[in-house]
Amino acid sequence: METMEQSLPERLDLYTCIQCGKCTGGCPVSIKSPLNIRRVVRESAVREDLHVFFSRLEIWDCTTCSTCAIRCPRGLRPVDAIIGLREMMVEEGRIEKTIIDALDGAYKYGNPWGRAKNKRAEWAQDLEIANALEMDPGQILYFVCCAASYDPRVQSVAKSLATVLRAGGVNFGILGNKEVCCGSEIRRMGEVGLFEMLMEENMKNFTKVNPQTIVTTSPHCMNALKNEYEGLGAEVLHYSQFVWRLIEEEKLSFSTEVPMKVTYHDPCYLGKQNGVFDEPRNVLKSIPGIEFTEFGRCRENSLCCEGGGGRMWMEGTNVGKRLSEIRVEDALEMGVEAIVTACPFCLLTLEDAVKTTGNEEKIKVIDLMELASMGLGVRPEVEGRR
Amino acid sequence: MDIIVCIKRVPETAEADLVIDGTKKAIETDDLVYSINEWDNYAVEAAIQLKEAEGGTITVISVGPEENNEVLRRALAMGADEAIRLTDPAFEGSDAYAMAKVLAAAIKDMPHDLILTGVQADDDGFGATGVALAQMLGLPYAALVTDIKKEGDTLTVHRELEGGLEEVDTLKLPALLTIQTGINEPRYVSIMGIRRVAKKEIAAKGAADLGLSENDVGLNGSMSQIEELFFPPVGEGAEIIEGTMDEKAETLVKILKERGGIA
Ligand SMILES: Cc1cc2nc3c(=O)[nH]c(=O)nc-3n(C[C@H](O)[C@H](O)[C@H](O)COP(=O)(O)OP(=O)(O)OC[C@H]3O[C@@H](n4cnc5c(N)ncnc54)[C@H](O)[C@@H]3O)c2cc1C
Ligand code: SF4
Ligand code: SF4
Repeated sequence: METMEQSLPERLDLYTCIQCGKCTGGCPVSIKSPLNIRRVVRESAVREDLHVFFSRLEIWDCTTCSTCAIRCPRGLRPVDAIIGLREMMVEEGRIEKTIIDALDGAYKYGNPWGRAKNKRAEWAQDLEIANALEMDPGQILYFVCCAASYDPRVQSVAKSLATVLRAGGVNFGILGNKEVCCGSEIRRMGEVGLFEMLMEENMKNFTKVNPQTIVTTSPHCMNALKNEYEGLGAEVLHYSQFVWRLIEEEKLSFSTEVPMKVTYHDPCYLGKQNGVFDEPRNVLKSIPGIEFTEFGRCRENSLCCEGGGGRMWMEGTNVGKRLSEIRVEDALEMGVEAIVTACPFCLLTLEDAVKTTGNEEKIKVIDLMELASMGLGVRPEVEGRR
Repeated sequence: MDIIVCIKRVPETAEADLVIDGTKKAIETDDLVYSINEWDNYAVEAAIQLKEAEGGTITVISVGPEENNEVLRRALAMGADEAIRLTDPAFEGSDAYAMAKVLAAAIKDMPHDLILTGVQADDDGFGATGVALAQMLGLPYAALVTDIKKEGDTLTVHRELEGGLEEVDTLKLPALLTIQTGINEPRYVSIMGIRRVAKKEIAAKGAADLGLSENDVGLNGSMSQIEELFFPPVGEGAEIIEGTMDEKAETLVKILKERGGIA
């Protein structure tokens, strides 16, 4: 490869793989996809020409959940081999139209859906949220996320979070139309250059705002800002961490009874990848009336919803039952009324699964902040529901 | 084979709220996002595929201000070899006819076996520049091309006609084709790819360099000009349904039932 000094297996140390198969054994898509991550690791290490992968659609089946990286006894990151191969495909321009559209959208409009820049803050129109660029340094910056800004279903999460932050007496601001995509998914679709561009654009504004803490809607944004953005001084927290802190510091409490039997779905980017398992559960349990049951597969063993790693824009080979459908069926068997989650992609994929399995009357998918907002006596307005 | 592709930089208007500016002859462009004209992107891809099969060179040409280097660089990153920008205050206000004169003046002295343009531009939608250019250069042409095959110095092309008809033509090179969208799948151009060509020199030429006078180009050299832009007047009979999503749906179903749209 002309662009990188080291080859892919050198860069990722793939020669040290002992082919134990722990990665394949944990890969959530391996039961339904031809993707065999152990084989990808071995082939990337021994193949002279990695172009053989270009025709393998299953490279796009990987959700970048990173289970393989957590399980690998050699401390390798098999998932990065997938991303590395995608990078090569992007460099040669040989990628599917839906991915090109997502990348073009992020490049031109700062969001992978290609929605207008000047409509990014429309969700906040009547909420009188401060412009972070006009705040004093050292405050709270709320980083909204493309999905929460534009998707009518997820906008309700942003609105609910605003309600919760206000109830906790938090002074916070947003970047409004100046916010651009965090680039997390862009990077995982293999477009490193564009990720860097988006990072630079956000960093410019982060530097101007100089916040003490950045709170995100999405675990994907949180992961990117916290672990991948270079030179960011501010503390980065997912909302579940920040809201739990408010509760612990007795700045926030819920007084409205929300009688509901729920379970919690761990988003991969929050749980597996950042170890945030307890905070969302703690917030959930501090809402009066909530009856909480754990999924059998929870925390580190949680089943991925298949919404990450560019899968929102690319189906891959997508054979077999969707994992989100399995998740919904498991929840129904547990007899809960709602699956609570804390990630825009999980919310959308699980809600889709409720519809495709025809269970709309039986079970709901709710974001943790919508539930918290109900605990404050504010019913979230969800477009298209009730 | 030496291929020349004419590419235009246009604003994207699909999602934008368009505002007509004070002159009433143009739209406000401050908030608009610009990119390569969609048809031209397919034309560049078609050129690259021909070059990959046949060898040769690709030169991309764009008429416009310095910002047009953006689309030229993108084409270089995609696989073009050279880029030229034609720019002069005198070009301002050119219609398709005057634009073709500018392009013809530049192309006539360059080696060319094949010239590709898009069928039309997303902003002005003349659909005339390509064929006018062919006429001025005295080249055979085919418009709305959806397939290209080359054998020796003969091209066999498919043209998409009205009513879904397809016409197959043969042309002798040198020739000009106007390319229809959907002819291929344009490859992605990565940001790193664009960065790699960031320093490549892009030559700029003005009216004098091309031997054009002020009367040849711009409004003076055009056959048509914009008198006034306005939005279509709002007609009668439209009803905007208000309310929540459920209320809207209920009202809509009621109306459809009343008017016999559904049983
Ligand atoms: C790095 C590595 C990679 C390998 N890759 C492959 C491969 O890809 N394919 C392949 O076929 N082989 C592979 N092998 C070889 C294979 O794993 C070994 O042959 C096999 O695991 C040998 O058994 P063990 O003693 O290691 O079993 P262990 O790993 O110790 O145990 C295996 C099972 O034995 C039972 N067991 C063990 N102890 C007890 C106990 N006290 N009480 C009750 N049950 C018990 C359990 O069911 C346990 O799960 C690999 C080995 C290594 C080290
Ligand atoms: S990141 Fe997840 S989906 Fe991708 S290969 Fe690893 S375990 Fe499988
Ligand atoms: S878990 Fe690690 S060591 Fe084991 S096969 Fe996968 S990449 Fe290799």
